[in-house]
Amino acid sequence: MERETVLEMKNIVKEYEGSEARAVDNVNFSMKKGEIVAIIGPSGSGKSTLLRCINGLNKVTSGEIKLKGDTGMVFQHFNLFPHMTCMENITYAPVKVKKKDRKAAEEKAMELLDLVGLANKKDMYPAQISGGQKQRIAIARALAMEPEIMLFDEATSALDPEITGEVLNVMKKLARAHTTMIVVTHEMGFAREVADRVLFMDHGVIVEEGTPEEIFDNPKSERLKAFLGAMLRA
Amino acid sequence: MLEGSVMTVKLFVITLVLSLPLGLPFALGSNSRILPVKALCRAYVWIFRGTPLLLQLFFFYFFFPLVLGLQISGFAAAVLTYVLNYAAYFAEIYRGGINSIDKGQYEAAHALGLSRRQTMLDIIMPQTMKAILPPVVNEAITLVKDTALASTLPIVELMKATNSAVNGTTSMIPFFCAAAIYLIMTFVLTVLAGRLEKYFKRYDAKEEW
Ligand SMILES: Nc1ncnc2c1ncn2[C@@H]1O[C@H](COP(=O)(O)OP(=O)(O)OP(=O)(O)O)[C@@H](O)[C@H]1O
Ligand SMILES: [Mg+2]
Repeated sequence: MERETVLEMKNIVKEYEGSEARAVDNVNFSMKKGEIVAIIGPSGSGKSTLLRCINGLNKVTSGEIKLKGDTGMVFQHFNLFPHMTCMENITYAPVKVKKKDRKAAEEKAMELLDLVGLANKKDMYPAQISGGQKQRIAIARALAMEPEIMLFDEATSALDPEITGEVLNVMKKLARAHTTMIVVTHEMGFAREVADRVLFMDHGVIVEEGTPEEIFDNPKSERLKAFLGAMLRA
Repeated sequence: MLEGSVMTVKLFVITLVLSLPLGLPFALGSNSRILPVKALCRAYVWIFRGTPLLLQLFFFYFFFPLVLGLQISGFAAAVLTYVLNYAAYFAEIYRGGINSIDKGQYEAAHALGLSRRQTMLDIIMPQTMKAILPPVVNEAITLVKDTALASTLPIVELMKATNSAVNGTTSMIPFFCAAAIYLIMTFVLTVLAGRLEKYFKRYDAKEEW
């Protein structure tokens, strides 16, 4: 059975105001429901910008984006609402934006809290939980809106290495449940293990694209080889 | 003397109760994307913060009888002046509080599909409370002193002067001249402050939605 296309980007160009260079330079990309795409590349290559064009945090300079359904986003710095408890963080948007019944929203939130393993933190404020826990709450908050695609922008980069695992494990759970995801990451191991497809970006361009094996074991372009070499040495 | 104290307290309470909420629309308007709204709100704040309270007080005492041909009590003129003046100060405090919120909060709100209104009311404003409380209290203390000033002015005398002025040759022109001088001075300061604000925000990304 042919899966339906949930995202289609055509000739996407993004130039930031007051900057000459293109942060994203003529990117074409599409993905199907249930697919897991990892985006890797050096700093400043346009990974975040591309992701932010998808959910409208950045306006594209030119090109066309066709999106089926909503997106949910998980940020490097969590961006939880500090004046709301974990439960309120998760239920606010479903109740206020989707006009979901509060009770139903809270039931759904409890399921999600269980999924991320934080049911016991529901009445805590973000300042009262650890970084890894914050990020797991942020994932639950995004999932509560039942998005068609989940976008992750370096969800573990702000965390101490010893606690990235708890967040990556939640993301792996989502992957196993066939959540459609685009994951910008520096975690090569995670990309190799979880992604169906890996994009390598440099200077705003998708330089190489393929299965994890193709990208990590048989890189073709010099730029990707250099990047992987640098990542290995790091 | 007692009468004066009662008036001071009344003026203080009324001013605070009215100017605290009135500052908010001007604070939000100062950040509006609708250019005329933004210009209007900024001009309002500039004028009321940019000229001395005493000048504004005299201005409103004379404005109604002279320009509109309306008699209003000295107290009413004082209330009007203080409310408009303090709303401008509170607007600036609120705006500062709003601008201090991390832009990640706006991004998260946008990513969850919140409207701008929901974002401001439910996400941004509750978080500004902590930051704006100390300067608001400061301003309230200043208001105590400012209202005392009004009670020392012989308002009744002033009203009499106003009455004769209406019949006589007094014009509003000196007020405008004085106001203009103050406004030019504060305009320069405002522009400089605006530049500084931009400078300190130069590493903030511009939101695009
Ligand atoms: N708000 C902005 N204004 C101007 N230029 C920007 C802005 N954000 C990013 N850029 C530029 O756009 C390019 C792509 O940046 P982007 O943040 O998308 O890269 P990235 O691949 O996510 O990098 P990193 O791995 O460091 O997060 C960079 O050259 C960056 O300097
Ligand atoms: Mg980035």
